[in-house]
Formats: sequence, structure tokens, C-alpha cells
Amino acid sequence: MTEPQHAEDALSELLAGYTVQPGTYDELMGPDGQPRAHWHNLLTDFAAMGTAQRCSAGATAESLLREHDVAYIAAESGNRRPWHLDVFPLLIAPDDWAKLAGGLVQRARLLNAMVADLYGPQQLLKNGTLPAPLVFANPNFIPHCHGYQATDGVFLQFLAFDVARAPDGSWWVLSQRTESPAGIGYTLENRIVTSRSIPDQFNANNLHRLAGFFRSFAEYFARLGDRHLSTVLTSGPDDPDYFEHALIGRYLGYPVVESADLTVRDSRVFLKTLEGLERVDVIVRRIASDASDPLELRSVPGIGIAGLLQAARSGNVLLANAIGSGVAASEALLAFMPSLARHLLGEELALPSIASWWCGQTRERNFVLEHADQLSLHHAFARSSMLTAGAHEFAQSDPDLSDPDALKARLALRPYDYVGMERIKPSTVPCLNEQGQLRPVPMVMRVYLAATEDGYQVLPGGLVKVSGKDFGGSTHVSKDVWVLSDREIERETLIKPLRAATLKRSDRDLPSKTADDLFWLGRYFERGDGGVRLYRNLFLRLAGETSLGNVPVALNVLTALLVSQGRLSATRARRALASGSRAVEHEIWNILFDPDSPDSLAHVLRNVARTADHVRERLSPDAWRIIERLTSVPNLRWRVHTVSDAVNVLNDLVESQSAVNGLIHENMTRGYGWRLLDMGRRIERARFTIRVLRELMVRADRDHPGVLGLQLDLADSVITYRSRYRAEPQIPAVLDLVLADESNPRSLAFQLATMRAHMDVMPQEDVHGQLSKAQKILISIHTEIILADVDKLANTTSKIGNRTHLNRLLNRSESSIETLTQLITRTYFSHSVGHRVTGSVIPEEPHNAL
Amino acid sequence: MLYDVRHETRFKYTGAVSISHQLLKLRPRRSNRQNVVGAELSVSPEPAVRNSWVDYFGNEVEFLTVQEPHRELVITSTSKVEVLPGMNIMLDFSPAWEVVAQSMQTPTNAEALGASQYCFESPYVDVHEELRDFALATFTPERPLLEATMALTSRIYEEFTYQGGVTDVSTPVRKVLEIKKGVCQDFAHLQIACLRSIGLPARYISGYLMTHPPEGQPKLTGADESHAWLSLWCPELGWVDFDPTNNLRPNLQHITVGWGRDYGDVSPVSGFIFGGGKHEVSVAVDVLQSAGGGV
Repeated sequence: MTEPQHAEDALSELLAGYTVQPGTYDELMGPDGQPRAHWHNLLTDFAAMGTAQRCSAGATAESLLREHDVAYIAAESGNRRPWHLDVFPLLIAPDDWAKLAGGLVQRARLLNAMVADLYGPQQLLKNGTLPAPLVFANPNFIPHCHGYQATDGVFLQFLAFDVARAPDGSWWVLSQRTESPAGIGYTLENRIVTSRSIPDQFNANNLHRLAGFFRSFAEYFARLGDRHLSTVLTSGPDDPDYFEHALIGRYLGYPVVESADLTVRDSRVFLKTLEGLERVDVIVRRIASDASDPLELRSVPGIGIAGLLQAARSGNVLLANAIGSGVAASEALLAFMPSLARHLLGEELALPSIASWWCGQTRERNFVLEHADQLSLHHAFARSSMLTAGAHEFAQSDPDLSDPDALKARLALRPYDYVGMERIKPSTVPCLNEQGQLRPVPMVMRVYLAATEDGYQVLPGGLVKVSGKDFGGSTHVSKDVWVLSDREIERETLIKPLRAATLKRSDRDLPSKTADDLFWLGRYFERGDGGVRLYRNLFLRLAGETSLGNVPVALNVLTALLVSQGRLSATRARRALASGSRAVEHEIWNILFDPDSPDSLAHVLRNVARTADHVRERLSPDAWRIIERLTSVPNLRWRVHTVSDAVNVLNDLVESQSAVNGLIHENMTRGYGWRLLDMGRRIERARFTIRVLRELMVRADRDHPGVLGLQLDLADSVITYRSRYRAEPQIPAVLDLVLADESNPRSLAFQLATMRAHMDVMPQEDVHGQLSKAQKILISIHTEIILADVDKLANTTSKIGNRTHLNRLLNRSESSIETLTQLITRTYFSHSVGHRVTGSVIPEEPHNAL
Repeated sequence: MLYDVRHETRFKYTGAVSISHQLLKLRPRRSNRQNVVGAELSVSPEPAVRNSWVDYFGNEVEFLTVQEPHRELVITSTSKVEVLPGMNIMLDFSPAWEVVAQSMQTPTNAEALGASQYCFESPYVDVHEELRDFALATFTPERPLLEATMALTSRIYEEFTYQGGVTDVSTPVRKVLEIKKGVCQDFAHLQIACLRSIGLPARYISGYLMTHPPEGQPKLTGADESHAWLSLWCPELGWVDFDPTNNLRPNLQHITVGWGRDYGDVSPVSGFIFGGGKHEVSVAVDVLQSAGGGV
């Protein structure tokens, strides 16, 4: 068999069963039944891959998506669902794309001009181009924003359009998104995953890269808000699109902030940072318009910045998009686009919309009622996003509008709230099924635009959604879009940070809330770490093995340790002790794995996951991946049956934690954020050490080689001790190593020295060259510890056998740590939450009627 | 009739407030029912930021920020307002209500266009079947618009009990319809919601009411409160006011401060503060017949 013959066979295998529905435009197959020319390269490559390799590319994509933790919130259930990607991209030929892009740029200009008019002179309403109810009944029209003077006249910096291709091959607009269009993060993610899953094919095709688009609008923003900070404003990790907000922030080099991070003073917006207030003049707004200012608009707990509207009105901050931009997002507008284009631009509309009938007009309403069964019916001002629906669902009526009687009743009361749309037969796109063959599946596509120095620019790519039901997959499947070029493409990297040139070494714009999260992340990490070491040692001792030979430790000492670390209540400890070692083991088992216990490891690790999620954009992808693995360990309880199982799980945890520590230590820049994270760790490690020392070393009646061994084990200092002393542990030597030896990274002295170094660099408030309170506390206790006479500490005992000096020193250390923690919290994380007050008093007593 | 109005709002806090933003809609506005002879606004402590502008609905708004720590904030608005006698309107000489509702879908002149924005749902006002059905019991086919509206005003007055403490600003209109109790604000919202649910333009009016002192006694300072009623748009006549709390059409005793789609647009004092602990607010409104002279 000759080579060309072989290639032809592979191609026919790939396309076997690829049957285009009559009357449908297919992206791949031309009307002659032959693949269109621009698909040739990709098709040949895919055919050459063979079935197994195609399936494995699909599996690679799925595992990359899981690893990046890409998910979406399903419209029907509100649950988080994994995002699916078909690696076989949609290819678009250069001239085809040029037509689409040109039409979308015109639409973007048009919608911007429309929004400017509605929040300004309202000529469109006065001259009847737009029916008044279309605006006044639209809850996304926010009257308070009337008169807003947009910078450069741009209200809409970001737009997205959902488009589909008609049977004749022309593009139709299905919907226009102008509020804070979602999905660009998924588009980037799809591109990254696709290019990694089929790298050879990606490089072999001459396709437009996405980075230039981001650079263009980032440069534009940089010019507009040059003097001060730019931020991405999100409602936080609970937002379904938070992953995207973090991605945009990372990509633009803007801090991702929540409402509580910002404050308005002097009608200007400021970010609360560790060094005080930093002026903000650009906000990429990813919170809802109507929740953006609790003073003037809706009051939603935790969201919105009081006075933001006033700051915007005064021209002191650029909001992208402007508050109230959602007014242009209604499908009800589609039918008016041609006349809007003539009125506002003096141009003919280049790109048609799908046919639609807005029920606010009598004739259209009657048409919709008569043809309800042939149309798809939608809420005009609250359409669910294409991102949460497949192509099928998107073309169907909103579920609550399918009953004809209910529809009639709704149209009688609020006709303006509904719009009927033509049921389209969208083009089909080849998708890889599980057998590695291509099947034609109906698709819709979302395309993104942004304002730049040279007007609106289109992202040369997009997000294709298909319904996996059509080829035997999961419900929602997406695809990357490759826009081909005639000319050689400049290979721009997608990962290159855009603001790398700005030298920023100190994290000066670290929001105080992020600082708080980093501090707690450090604390939770260490709590988890300390806990894991503690449990592991206890299990090992219960099982009878220890690292210093078989020296058993009394059960009561083990349980006392748990009580002192706040992991076990004194009552339960007493009860377990009375029943023997199995009962103690059972208790430890419970603490470890009971997800409902606030002291359980599962709980601590959940806290790690939660805080890590808040600062996700500050962690490297590697660190994030390990944290994910770490926090999913307690869910493996079902695998744990024996003590040795438990020890294995705990060993895994210790390893993962060491890996995260290593990554943070090696990769995080030494800014304030890192210092606070590290201080969080040091504080918890110091507390752990103090408590263990107090439990094991203060009572002379507990002196026992096994106890000393446990002390060294818990301080991870067995090897050091052995190499240094080559002898059985002695109390003064152990105390020296664990308490005062600064060269031991687990000693109390080391934690205090490290914190001193951090506090010397952290910004201080109003001390003018003097030492801050926190510094003084640290110097004092650190000095006391390193000057301590360990022999005296070991040998001064009270009548009942307690080492009183040691005990007092440990108590002083603990209270110093407490005070220090409070000082750090007060100095760096005081983000007070505001609340609304009104001067209205509902009268308690009826008036006398007139 | 000339009035001296004094409206004092006093916030007291148990802790220091570090920053306080206030949005004030306290200046009575000029209308065909009244002239404003003078108006002043004083704030203590002195705000660092003070901006004023005319909002979308034509009300004069003042935004201020107090940035120094404080435990008490006093906002005092004083004004002198001349209320003009209303024209005599024959309620049954108005167009059939359906005609007006229909005309709102395609307003043909600037005045009708302006009115049409008060036909729809707004944050405090629902458009709902229950409200429509309640209205339709009064708005029988082809009934003259103003006569029907006055009849609805009387129905609310008669069927509902004025009672403080059972509702607050966030009580939905449909809840008020269900419990049949509330205060002036609830009744105004309810009637507006009924009118809008059958497609008619109605707006919310915030203002004051002059109560007559009992015979032989001096007028008590602070006895009066902020009041609320509504206005309905009628072609040819323009906006006509109705007060369901008192079952009448406002005349010389109603002083208008401002209007909007609902309470949210005209709330006299809204604030947002940081710090402050617990707060207590006291409001005193005096509406006295003026002896003349300046403010």
C-alpha cells in the first residue's frame, strides 16, 4: 500500500459516517460533499493521528481541565460542573472572519452610541427610534447613571456577541452582552488546553494568537488610568466566574479586589493596602451594575462600594463597563438594530440579527401569540447565558414560557418582558466522538470585543458551544476557535505578563483583605502541618513503633497533648483513658477524619482550601495543584481501615505540605504578602512548640526517655539531636535544641528571629523611626529566649515537681505571641464593613386624618 | 399658603464613625402646586465633600461625606414654601382609563414620554396579577381615569388599617395587600403598584403634611412627619395627586419635596457609614404656617 493511499484511507476513516443534514450549512463540508479548503491541513493531520492518538488527545485535554479546576455553574441546577472541551477546533477562513469581525465592530460602535444616548439626551426615545417601554421597563436601565460622562465617550469597554451561521453561510447575531460579558476566561483556557493537547497541529496551522487583543486594551487602559492603580473588581470566590476574574487580573497585571477592599473618599476611589490608601482610577467591573453602590442603588451585603456612583459622576474613576451598561444587552433590541444604525451612525447594519418579535408592540405580540409553537420565547431582560446552555437549549424557549395559557396570561400583564425569536437551524461543526470519529453537531459561538486606542477590536478566536447530546457526550461541550490568516502570524506567547515592565518590588498595592487571607493561609497550613505531625506520632506510638527505639509513652501523656492543642475535650480524654489504648486510638481516629468536628484535620484542610481559593491568583499553578490534592485527602477516609493506612495517609499529607512549603519558599516574591504568610506560619509553629513543651517538659514527674523522644519527634529534631549529642536525650540539651537554638528551624527562637526580621521590613504606622509595639514585643521575648539558661530551666522545680521557670517563660512567650497576633491583625487587616443607615422613621402612631 | 418647614435628622452612634456618606433629597422642589421661597441645608460636623446636582427625576440631590471621626451627625433642612391652591378638576370629565393605558405604549409627545417611564415595575413597586385584579375591581371598563383613581384611593383608605410597626421600607407591596395594614408609604406604593399593573403612569411623592392643631392648643413641635402620597398622569391635565392615607386629593396642606418611581428614588436621607457601633436615628419635622419674611 502506498503512502497517499494510506492517508486517504485514514481520512475516510475519520469522516466515516459524517453526514450533513440537508438544508444545513456545515463548517467542514462544502456543498459538493468535499471538505472546504481551509480545513485541509488540520483534517490530514487528524487523520494521520489515528483513532488511539485522537482519543488520547481528548483525554489529555480533560485531565488538563481537571488540573486547572475549570468549572461552570449549570443553569438548571446552580451546581458547579466540570467544563468540557472537544479538542477538534472550529476553523474559520480569513475572509469569512473579516466579514464577521467587521460587522461586530460596527455593532459595538452602535451599541455604545445607543447607551450614550440613553444615559444622555435620549433622542432615540424622543424621535421614536426606540419604543419607550423597551428602555423604561428594562430593569437594567439605571436612571441614577443618567448624565454620566464616559471617558473618551466609551461606556462599553467589553462586549460579547453570540452568533450562529445561517443555512446560506452568512453569520447572524443571536444576542449581545454588554454588562460584564463572561466567558473570555474559558476562551483563554480552551486555547491553552487545546494547544497543549494537540501541539503539533496547533503549530502547523497559521492561526491568529489571542495575546495581541489583550495587549491592545491593556495599553488603552494604561493610557486612560496611567497615574494610579487599575483593579479587577469581583464579588469574590463564590462568584461562578471568579476563576475568570482571577485570570483577567493575572493577565492584565491588575490586583483582583473585592468591594470591601475599596473605599470612597473625597469622591475618589481608594484601595486599602498595607501601606495605607492607594488611589484607584480604573475598575474592570465584574459585579452587577445594580449592586455596585449600596448608597444609591440596591444594597447587597458585602457587595458594592458606597459612593462609587458619585466618584464616577465626578469623573474620578473609569468603570469598565460603565454602571448601567446592561441596558443594551436585551434581545428585544435586535429588531431595532437596522434603524438604530441609520439614526446613530448613518450606516446600514452590516451583520443581520436573527428575526425577533418584541411583545411590547401590539402587532408583534399578536404574531408571537399566533406562532408561539414555531418560535423560541425568551425573557427580554433576563436571558440565561449561552455559557450555561448548549446550542440546543439556547435555541429553545425559556422553560417557564412553554405553556401556551401561562404565556397568554404573562403577555397580558407584562408584554414588554418577552420576546419571540425565530428558531434557527444553526450550522454544524465537526466534533470528535468517543470513537475518535467526526460528527456534525449544531453550534453557537461567542465572540469578544474590547475598546482600544484604535476603536473596537475583535478577539481573533472565540468560544463554540455544542450540545454533547448530539454526539453521545456530556451536555455542555465547548471548542476552541482558530481564526486562520493569509499572512505569517507573529508568535506571541499567551502567558507573557503584560505589565512586566512596571517594577514593583514591595507589594505596595497588596489589598489588606488579600494580606489577611495570606496570613490565615500561613496559619492554616501550619495548623494542618502541626496536626499531621502530632497525629502521625501518636499513631506510631500506639502501634508501638517509635524512632528512638521501643520506648513507650504513657497514654495519659498522649491524650494530654491532644487536649493542650485543643483537639480533644478533657472529658472525652478522661473517658477514653479509662477504657484503654483502643479507645484512645478511636478518639484520635474520630478527630482526624470526622468531617463535622471543628478540630478535625478535614476541617483544617477545608480552611486551607477556602483561603487558598481567595488568593488563588497569587499562587503558582503548581502550588495550587498540590493544595488541591492536599485538601482532597481527608475525603479518602473510606480507604483508611488500619493504623498503618492512617499513617500512610498522614505521610502523604506531610509530603504534600512540604512540597507546598517548598514552592512558596522558592517561588513567591519576598513582598509583604509572602512575609505575612510566613508570619502566619511562624505564629502557629511557635504556639505549637510552646504547648508541646509545656505538656511534655514542665512536669518533672513525666520525665521519661519516651517523652523526650516524643518531644524531639514532634519538633522534627531527632536527627539533629542524634548527630549533635550521640546520646540518650537529656533534658537541658533537648530544651536548648527546641527552645533556644536559633540554628534549628523548628525551635521557638528561630520562629521569633524570623518574625523579627519580617516586622523590621513591614510598613509601620506612625512611629517615625521608633520601634513599633510589635517590634518591641518580639525583641523582648526573643532576647529572653536566647539568653535563657537551659540548665536552670531544667533544674528549678517547685515542691510538686513543676519546672516553674520554664513554665513562666513559656507562658510569657505564649502571651507575647497572642499580643503580636492581635497587633498584626489590627495594623494590617482592619477592613471595617460599612452599613446602610437611613433617616426615615416609619411613624408609629396614625396621624389624625385631615 | 406659606409654610416654614424644618426637617432635622439626628444620628447618634455608640462608637466613632470614621466615614459617613450621605445622600440627601431634602430640598422641596418647585412645581405647579408650589413655589419654593428659600431652602437651606446645614450639616454638623462639617462635611469634607459636598456636591449637589439635579437627578434624573428633577430632584435636587446633595451628596456629602463626613471624613472626620464623629459620634453624632445632625442634618437640618429648613425651607419656606408657598403652596398654591389646586385647580378644580371634574373627576368624571377624564378619558377612559384604558385609552390612557394604551397611549403609554407609544407616547406621542414629550410630556407623555416623560410620564411613560412611571408605568413599569421599580425596585419597591411590583407589577403583578394580584395587584391588577385588585385594581380592576374599581377600574371597570371605560370608567373615567380620575374618577376610578379616586375610587381606588378611597377603597385603600377604607379597606386598609393605618398601623405603624407592622411594615418597614422593605415590606413588599403584595404583603401589604395581604395583611391590609401599613403606613403612608405602603399605601402610596400599593396604589402606585395597582395603577402600574393596569398600565397607568403613577409616581411616588415624598413630602410633608400640615396637621391642624386641636382647638385652643399650640402646635406641638416635632409632631409632624415625612409623608408620602402619589401622583397619576392624565392627558391634558398633567399630574394629579392622590393621598390614600387620608382619602383625599392633596391641596393646601401637602408640601412636596420630590418625586420618583418609588421611595428608593426620593428617600430623604440615606447614609452609608463605617464604624459607629449601634446607631439611633431621630427625625423631627416641623411644618408651621409662616409669618412671612425670609427663611
